This record gives sequence, structure tokens and C-alpha cells, in this order.
Amino acid sequence: MFRLQGSKVLAVDMAGDAVRAKNGSMVAYDGQMAFKKMSGGGEGIRGMVTRRITGEQMTLMEVRGQGTCYFADRASEINLVSLGGDKLYVESSNLLCADGSLRTGTSFTGLRGGASGHGLFTTTVEGSGQAAIMSDGPATVLRVAPGYPLCVDPGAYVAHQGNLQQNFQSGVTFRTLMGEGGGEAFQIRFEGDGLVYVQPSERNTVGGEV
Amino acid sequence: MPFREINSRMVEATIAPGRRMFSQRGAMLAYRGEVSFTPNTQGGQGGLGAMIGRRVAGEAAPLMTVSGQGTVLFGHGGHHIQVVNLTGDTLYVEADRLLAFDGSLEQGTMFMGSQGGVMGMVRGQVTGQGLFTTTLRGHGAVAVMAHGGVIELPITPGRPVHVDPQAYVAHHGEVSNKLSTALGWRDMVGRGSGEAFQLELSGSGAVYVQASEEKL
Repeated sequence: MFRLQGSKVLAVDMAGDAVRAKNGSMVAYDGQMAFKKMSGGGEGIRGMVTRRITGEQMTLMEVRGQGTCYFADRASEINLVSLGGDKLYVESSNLLCADGSLRTGTSFTGLRGGASGHGLFTTTVEGSGQAAIMSDGPATVLRVAPGYPLCVDPGAYVAHQGNLQQNFQSGVTFRTLMGEGGGEAFQIRFEGDGLVYVQPSERNTVGGEV
Repeated sequence: MPFREINSRMVEATIAPGRRMFSQRGAMLAYRGEVSFTPNTQGGQGGLGAMIGRRVAGEAAPLMTVSGQGTVLFGHGGHHIQVVNLTGDTLYVEADRLLAFDGSLEQGTMFMGSQGGVMGMVRGQVTGQGLFTTTLRGHGAVAVMAHGGVIELPITPGRPVHVDPQAYVAHHGEVSNKLSTALGWRDMVGRGSGEAFQLELSGSGAVYVQASEEKL
């Protein structure tokens, strides 16, 4: 029921069910729709407190109704992700819309978050259903398989799903300290089995400076 | 067909003697042939009266007349361009979103209050459109700018379309619009869903919606 209208508009057909979407991202709808802000992303009091403390704040609204609702945000490219019981890790600012049946939560990312300019926590989406994530430019999906690890620039990382271990790797050498670095001093290394979403654009990060 | 789309952000227009065209001032990128660009102090057609009307209404976009023979490329600010073909009906669009249009189209200014009275004026204020909007009527093509891509949503009787005022670009056809509010107690206490105001369009025609909530 999630479909793309062009690459920048998400159309969701609804028949009385609900989806969760980023606050204020509706651009148009037909039929009957009701919009309700969900405090703390609908994760209950505990989730709300966690989000406040971790700074991984997310303002979502619940959209319920019958008809077709169109979502878009600042002309970002939209990618559809289907989840079949696995977990999607995405930055809360890159999450546009998720099925009402999916659960959202926060998780600790370790050192990576600090270097990618994201903060130390990220949002997880779990369950079976569809989600839509946003990227600056069309995202590439890269597969990671056992024995084939993948290194990603922290500024170009958007999301990942599946059973992946991530660790932070740095290529800081004598040259970097002399101010002659290649601008690629830090990478995130993914190992295991899953998918990584990478955007063709880099956010300003600490790692990109050196 | 006067406009040919080169890519999503550029259109090429063919100019022939006796078939002039109006465009936003400074929107020309390149041209071939003998084409002249005259700044249009009147800001469009309709003589002195219409000019004063537009000035008062704040809908006086700086336009220029493009005439001669050849082809002209138009584009502005890297915005996406949507070409709308009119066959006798009226297009309602904000003056600053107009990139270029056929000289054969009749340009006018519409007072928002004439549709829906006081609520029409409130709507103009909320949507940031002001109290007036530009209308184009006749047979011809119009190039409209939008941030991000544009989708066209059909409006059929009995199935009104609701649009976020910030994402609204233009509409055409026999459409009446009104501002619908979904203000509840949640909005009053600062817990709104960000969708408190919507533009409800009903009738028959089509509305153009951009994939962004940014104004130009």
C-alpha cells in the first residue's frame, strides 16, 4: 500500500488503518483523514523519556483514514524498505513514514554516531511491514554478506537493516596529523549479513574535515 | 506545443513572428535566432487599468515580452518546471511561480475574497498567497516553477482533495477552494500534528502539488 509517485512523493493507500509519518510531511490527500501527533513516537512513557535523554527526538503523527495520502519532505528522495521481522536502523530525521504495525525505538550506536554527526543514538524500526526513508539524492542499496565487509563514509550513511555488526575504523596517519589528510579519515565498517543504504551526498562531519 | 521540455528544470520555447510570449524577467538562459526581450513595465497585459490593479494587489511580478523568431531556453533557480496546457479553462497560480506563458493567454488578477468572502481572505493569509492570485485563461501553455517534482492530482465531483497550503502550486478547472481547519485542543497546547490548515479543493479539474513544503 506504500507506492512512490515519482521519486520524491510517497502515496499511501489506506482503508481505515493507520500509518506513522513525520510531523507536517503531508502534502495532499483525498478521502477522509485524521492527523494526530504522537508524543514520543507512540512508544509510551518509557520511550518518551528515553528519547528526551538521548536527544534522538522524533516528532511523528498518526494518520488514520480512508483514501490516499501523499507525503513529501523538502524534496528529498524517498526509498521504500520492506521489513519481514528484521530491524531497520535509521536516523530519526531520515524516517518519513512507517506502517502502524511497526514498532519504533532507540538504540546506542557507539562511536559511529559521534563521527557521522548524528549523535550517539539512532532510531530502530522493527516488525513486519513497510517503511519509507529519505535521502539527499537517490540512495544506493549495498549488500553485505559474510566475508564481504563494507566500509561506508559516515556522512553518506543513511540506514541499514539485517544482522550487521558495525565498527568504527580510522585511517588516521602521520599525514593526517600534518593536515594532509584525504578527507576520508573515518569509516564505518559493516560485517555480517544485511543491507546498507548510502546517499550520493555527504553531510558535514568531523571525519570529513581531516 | 510552444514548450518543449529539455530536462526537468529547463524548457525550450519556440517564438515566431506574431506569436510573442511573456516570461519572468531574467529567466532566459540561452536563445537561438532573432529574439528580443522587452521589459514589460505593465507587468503583463490589459493596459493601464490592469497594471494599477496588479500593483495594488501585490501581484506585479516583473515580466518581459519575448518576441521575434527563434527558440529560447527558460529556467530559473534550479527549480523544477511543470508545463500546463490550457484548453479554454482557467489556471490559478501565484505570480512568482510563473516562469513563462503564451502571449495568447489572457492574464488577470483574482481577489481571493471573491471566493468564500472573509474565509477566502483568511485563506490567502494562511497560505502565504496574499489576498490576490493570478489567473490565466485561454488556449496555450504555461510553465510553472516548483521546488522538487510536481504531481498532478485530479479533482472529481464528490471526491475533494485536501492539500497542504505550503505544498500547493496551482490549480485549474472548475474548482472551488476553501480553507479547512483541523484545529483541536492539541494544537492549542502546542502538540499539533503540523497539519492544522488544509486547502480543500472540490469540483472538477486538477491541482498541482510540489514535493516540498518550501515556498519559492
